[in-house]
Amino acid sequence: MTAEKVIELRGVQQRFHARGTPDGYLTAVADASFRLDANPPQVVSLVGQSGSGKSTIARNVLGLQKPTAGTITYGGKDIFKLNRAEYDEYRRNVQPVFQDPYSIFNPFYRVDRVLWKAVKKFSLASTREAGQTLIEESLQAVSLDPGRVLGRYPHQLSGGQRQRIMLARIHMLRPAFVIADEPVSMLDAQIRKLFLDILLDFQRDHGMTTLFITHDLSTVYYLGGQVMVITKGEIVERGPVAEVMHTPSHPYTRLLLDSIPQPDPDARWTTRITVDESAATPPTDTAEEATPII
Amino acid sequence: MSDETVLEVSGLEVVYSTSKGDVKAVEELDLSVRRGEILGIAGESGSGKSTLAVALLRLLKPPGKVTAGSATFHRKGGSPVDLLKVQGEELRVLRWSALSYLPQGSMNSLNPVMRVEDQFKDVILEHAPERKETLSELIARLLDQVGLEPRVARMYPHELSGGMKQRVLMAICVALEPDLVVADEPTTALDVTIQRVILQSLADLRRDFGVTLMVISHDMGVHAQLADRVAVMYEGRLVEVGDVHQIFKAPRHDYTRQLIDSIPRLGRRAS
Repeated sequence: MTAEKVIELRGVQQRFHARGTPDGYLTAVADASFRLDANPPQVVSLVGQSGSGKSTIARNVLGLQKPTAGTITYGGKDIFKLNRAEYDEYRRNVQPVFQDPYSIFNPFYRVDRVLWKAVKKFSLASTREAGQTLIEESLQAVSLDPGRVLGRYPHQLSGGQRQRIMLARIHMLRPAFVIADEPVSMLDAQIRKLFLDILLDFQRDHGMTTLFITHDLSTVYYLGGQVMVITKGEIVERGPVAEVMHTPSHPYTRLLLDSIPQPDPDARWTTRITVDESAATPPTDTAEEATPII
Repeated sequence: MSDETVLEVSGLEVVYSTSKGDVKAVEELDLSVRRGEILGIAGESGSGKSTLAVALLRLLKPPGKVTAGSATFHRKGGSPVDLLKVQGEELRVLRWSALSYLPQGSMNSLNPVMRVEDQFKDVILEHAPERKETLSELIARLLDQVGLEPRVARMYPHELSGGMKQRVLMAICVALEPDLVVADEPTTALDVTIQRVILQSLADLRRDFGVTLMVISHDMGVHAQLADRVAVMYEGRLVEVGDVHQIFKAPRHDYTRQLIDSIPRLGRRAS
């Protein structure tokens, strides 16, 4: 399967039961088609506002939610019809980083557990010493001092440190794909830049392709690569980042670009906008599912 | 904006006691807030921005404590008080009516089982019972002020999006025309378009109500768009205070420059 590490979405549609809508359903993703290639390694960003369906796509790609229509294939096979061994390989090769660097950890266990679980589940090391070495190397690769994070509990670490532990886990596993769902939205500027630089290092040094889901266009610009703009469950524009940012063709892309607060007091907004926020309200009973604890 | 001072903080020091000794979160901080201005407080996480806010609002919880300094608050038609010393009833009366707070993650600050209008009623009647007759018009006007329809008054918090909840809170904050509103990270965790709407509303509140705002944010873009003056904090100290143009065009302190440069920006790659 190594020759064709490709994730492909065709006509993916995701509807949820929702009260208060005309037909009893809320369409989170209307019709999404795109492909992610492992070769060459790249960053593909999916950008849109809350409620646009971008996180639902992440859950679909990770195999956590089966779409109501359309297919998601990996190496040509439907990811919801893989046998056990194929599914294990898929899970190993497609790794998540979620938004909330707190809820991903079980608060009762030391953070080491997340890393050791990966070592054991995917047989990354044959001895305890080799495992320890691997963990320490991976922590160093994400600029964490093993002595200062190992043996700690999640609440003793900052959000940036917790997110980087998830990156260390990815560093150990070397997946072909990283699915990052708003990984930096809870981090401040300096830590955010560090996190993005580590992702770019992974792309260059370990050949990882990242699907980067965010509402923040400046982050997309920093990462480069390809971008897809999603609104109301539909991808309305896609292309190389520089092209989409400099010559946006869809009005929604232009609105997003124009709404980034520029760090220049002479470039303040002169126009006003209104946003239809009722459309951005998630269905309360289905969309807010808990992030799975790994 | 006048030269009249609303709040004069002097020599403020706040420490958190830990088992390994006291950690100074705010040190030797002097800052004045002028009536009618929007003052931005910038700095990275852990720089003491939020500690400064909660200390001034007297919401600091142990192990945090104020160990030095004063904060003289000049309210309209009242004698100056030291915010760090007022107690009991005097403090209760001050809150909301003269000094209000828009906390970080304030979308979680609304009571989930009360309609929006009842949450307004709680605050307004507690401090200004004479408004009872005109309450519904007042609520509608306040909601309109932050760009929300009157029907929002009848809704429950779960029916509102994050940005709408944030604006309901902003409207409650200004309901009693306080002398000072402290907004802690008012746009963090909201996406760009909603953030822009919130910043518009904050600017409107100043324009139409003459509210004095202290806006805490790590996002220098927010300060550039909204603030008149910016105070930059680093490791508990104020490293620079100045006019927003001066801060961005000619920062006097290295850290301010780094803070501006660390924003990934369209048009170039951050170095």
